[in-house]
Amino acid sequence: MGRRHRTMAGAVAALAVAAVGWVLPAHAAEDAPVTLTVGLLQDLDSPNVTAGYLVSSYEVWNLQYATLTDKAAADFATEPGLAESWTASDDGLTYTYTLREGLLWSDGTPLTADDVAWTVNTSRDQGWMNHSSITANLTATAIDARTVTITSSVPDPKLPTMDVYILPKHIWEEQAAGDITTYDALDGVGSGPFTLQEWKSGQSWTMKANPNYWKGAPAVDQVIFRVFTNADAMVAALKKGEIDAANAVPSSAFAELQSTDGIEAIFGTQGSMTELAMNGMGGGLGDGHPALQDVTVRHAIHHAIDKQVLFDRVINGYGVKGTTLSVSPDPAWKPAIAEADQYNYDPAQANQLLDDAGYVDTNGDGVREMPGGGQELVFRYAERSESETAAPIRELVTGWLEQIGIGTEVSVFDDTQLTDVIASGEYDLFVWGWTPFVDPDPMLSYFRCEQLTTSLDSYGYNDANWCSDEYDALYAQQNQELDRTKRIELVHQMLKLFYDESTYVVLFEDAELQAYRTDRFTGWTRQPAETGPVLFSNTSPTYANLVPVGGGGDDSDGMSTGVLVAVIVGAVVGAGAVVLLVARSRSSRDERE
Amino acid sequence: MRARFVVGKCLGALATLGFVLVFNFFLFRVVNDDPVGKMFRGRNLTPEQLDRLRRQFNLDGSRFEQFAAYLGQAVRGNLGISMQSRRPVTTEIREALWPTLVLVGTATTLAMIIGIAIGIRAGWRRRSRFDVGATTFSMFTYSVPDFWLGMLMLGVFAVQLGLFPTGGITDPGSTATGVAHLLDQLHHMALPALTLAIAYLGEYAIVMRSSMLDTVREDYLLLARAKGLRDVEVRRHHAVRNALLPVVSLSALNFGYVLSGSIAVESIFSWPGLGQATLEAIRGPDFPMLQGLFLLFSAALIVANLVVDLLYGLLDPRVAGR
Repeated sequence: MGRRHRTMAGAVAALAVAAVGWVLPAHAAEDAPVTLTVGLLQDLDSPNVTAGYLVSSYEVWNLQYATLTDKAAADFATEPGLAESWTASDDGLTYTYTLREGLLWSDGTPLTADDVAWTVNTSRDQGWMNHSSITANLTATAIDARTVTITSSVPDPKLPTMDVYILPKHIWEEQAAGDITTYDALDGVGSGPFTLQEWKSGQSWTMKANPNYWKGAPAVDQVIFRVFTNADAMVAALKKGEIDAANAVPSSAFAELQSTDGIEAIFGTQGSMTELAMNGMGGGLGDGHPALQDVTVRHAIHHAIDKQVLFDRVINGYGVKGTTLSVSPDPAWKPAIAEADQYNYDPAQANQLLDDAGYVDTNGDGVREMPGGGQELVFRYAERSESETAAPIRELVTGWLEQIGIGTEVSVFDDTQLTDVIASGEYDLFVWGWTPFVDPDPMLSYFRCEQLTTSLDSYGYNDANWCSDEYDALYAQQNQELDRTKRIELVHQMLKLFYDESTYVVLFEDAELQAYRTDRFTGWTRQPAETGPVLFSNTSPTYANLVPVGGGGDDSDGMSTGVLVAVIVGAVVGAGAVVLLVARSRSSRDERE
Repeated sequence: MRARFVVGKCLGALATLGFVLVFNFFLFRVVNDDPVGKMFRGRNLTPEQLDRLRRQFNLDGSRFEQFAAYLGQAVRGNLGISMQSRRPVTTEIREALWPTLVLVGTATTLAMIIGIAIGIRAGWRRRSRFDVGATTFSMFTYSVPDFWLGMLMLGVFAVQLGLFPTGGITDPGSTATGVAHLLDQLHHMALPALTLAIAYLGEYAIVMRSSMLDTVREDYLLLARAKGLRDVEVRRHHAVRNALLPVVSLSALNFGYVLSGSIAVESIFSWPGLGQATLEAIRGPDFPMLQGLFLLFSAALIVANLVVDLLYGLLDPRVAGR
């Protein structure tokens, strides 16, 4: 017995020694560069700007590629970028941009009007995913090295803002001859504050400071983006100081991080919204419930929903209470809805509306029927399985509908299935969301009649299955209105109309929960000011603004050669001890115990 | 072992692989008719751009044309292009393969050695204190979900005690090479490997123990003892050798699952292996990638099965002799 214990003790000792070897950090800190490490839950899909589409990839391009015009951190106002100034032609169709003097790519090649013209024209001709929605109607001409004209075929209110990523022609020209989307784009040549140095798929990517950045080299030498697949582990890494900032912090950990010393936790909104959509059967495919084509029923449902409760209990107050469609992170585009015109939570009024319109419960089962009896007001409710908030929202909403005599049949779908269900119009209610661009045009365009799905061969965007000639006319007007104030007025009209039609009940605008350490860097910049996020915002101004606290440098613990030697010696001694013990116990066990 | 036996088994494996290859294609076509349309929802793309994408991913022709193109590519070792990264699926899989092989391979080997050792001891001395303790322990680890164990290990050793990193395969940004690099990797691998080893070892211990119990009752062991052989010799040369047979097949089969078996643990420890690649592909959904992964996982199992069959033939001549 005793000997057996000794064997086990030996094994335990060996394991312990081995464990010590694993425990000690194995990197040495010699002249460590100033490193910002950002934790996130999403890897890059592709660093190639003509192929990638995930939020994480946009962060790479925001840092690597400067744009002709910049957007202000505070309010998205158009500012000089690579172009220091611009003038408009009398008809407003052509803008002439003057580039800054002495612009260089990060590899030292001069950045000229030729790069700009090539990017705009090639992206239009080849239909690059992330460029073409802006460049489709544009033609660029390089006049000389520092002058480029951009002409739009139609009045385009987005100009003079030119926020497409300008690519280095000398790198990409060759790629554009073949299939440009399969290029790996690891060249690391850019004009922004940081350029991509290395990408370890599934683990991390590293961006190093660009000494040729037109605002001057940033104070941070490199930014490492570290991919976590476990959000709780990411929060722990932030608290331990393994990372300096974290994106998409789980809401369960948020309150605790807010009260942790040396950590600032914020929620930033960029207009992402979650809506309850009703099938208005406005001309698209489908078999929606006839009651939902009656705007009175839609108003009653709108009155039955308590947005305050959704705000408090579903998003825990991290976000904004829902009103009308959110078409931009820039609050200027959102109209104020007069108190008298709002559909506030009022179940009594909802019941009254339904009673007056003849939707009454004649058979006493607690569910109303269509006027004159007949079909019950039981709505098919499509729930999204790929959303954490879907289940709590369903609980609340179906409960509220029950209060006004409306029944629901819930089915759960993944995003792929739900896309099909919506396109075919075989639903009455669903809950999903959108994230808008800075310019309101794309979001507004989705609810035009031409975006209805009328054939399953091509899906339209109009998932409210709603159509209005008045809305379409206003859309066409704003789409070519060059005066910003007038355009805002038109957009406000459209959004009030959409709100009043109530095919969408916007439940809330959710926020991105982020946290960062305040003891290592200062200069964290929210975009837009006060309400926006510090990371993964529209143009990501934070990174170039960060300055290390107190001189900075990497303070992570390194391991001296002495310790390394000690560990190896320890491991060898431990292994030797085990071999000895095992050998001894084996020889003694040769006798029958 | 007869040649006919070997050839037959190999042909059977090839036929299964061929079936999987065909089934794989239709499985994903049945699940989803228009992967491109769904993947790029809300991306503000024109119909022309979507058509171009469909062409790029071989999704534009008729079902038969697509199938012919798929087979032609697959036979030449080309699994298409990932819809997410636009890189070849084979490149994506190759990059994710090594982390998984190293992690799960280490864990399985550890689990096998420790599990079999426990099983031998427990089975040899039935109802001893060691047997009772080991059996309880094995049943416990066998039934514990690996993701729960992983969260526990992470919470205790990485967060509370701060002894290990919170995830990943190396320190991001580390420029270490040689021994320091290796130590860094071991440091990162310790927790996930230990988690998997603990989760796996119960199965080996239990199978080995019951196999030992069967063997202990055999007459030839009585004979061996009667010959005056020492206990350790009886155990090692006569009992263990015969009792190992079921464990060998279990081990070989488990190695077939090495590639696909650790999705939960990889995800907890942010380990960039095939499990993570699978999750990402499902999230897309990235169909070429999923197709490639399924093919790989099936092929691994088929090969493992073939190895088991052949090993059985070697270890037990009765199987191959007939």
